[in-house]
Amino acid sequence: MRRKKTLYTALMAAGMVFLLGALAAWKLSAPDKFGGMLTGVGSGLLAMGAANWRMLRWAERDPVQMRRDEIAANDERTVAIRRRAQAVSGEVLQWGVMAAAWLFIGFGAPLWITLAAVGVFLGKSVLELCLMVQYQREM
Amino acid sequence: MKNRLEELRRARGLRQEELADALEVSRQTIGSLENGRYNPSILLAFKIARYFGMSIEDIFIYEEDVK
Repeated sequence: MRRKKTLYTALMAAGMVFLLGALAAWKLSAPDKFGGMLTGVGSGLLAMGAANWRMLRWAERDPVQMRRDEIAANDERTVAIRRRAQAVSGEVLQWGVMAAAWLFIGFGAPLWITLAAVGVFLGKSVLELCLMVQYQREM
Repeated sequence: MKNRLEELRRARGLRQEELADALEVSRQTIGSLENGRYNPSILLAFKIARYFGMSIEDIFIYEEDVK
């Protein structure tokens, strides 16, 4: 717990350093890309550190509820529900992309848009097939 | 698949939360199991059976589909 707290504090500190760096870059008229990169990395680290630190504080205050939440997030029914939802949404999205490809043709959109949509559909199908072969070997 | 989970839990005077904590699953999972909406994995079935000191067949009743 203490090690985690140190890690999250370090993440927040690093985030602050990056943000200060972005501020300095702006003051020194450094390229916008550089300042933008520092701001992005800095705010990401700060947000990640702060969110995890807050969760840790919660866990310290109510460890029983925290343990229950952890279990609820990972128990087999929740995982099964999550995987089922992911599979169905993936399937719906895949056919949605294919339907969009037809619509693009109808609207006379550039060919590359239609081809990109078909590419996404085929890519997902190929990936699905590869994963099925892999899982059949494993299971 | 039917089961006797609710009956066994009540016989031991346990709340769903207590059984869930003991089996390291969520309270919702216990509720779904009791209602027959969810069939447990073989690992959870063993865990439940061990917890109650019974065999899986004593708790879970398999009914073959009538065609």
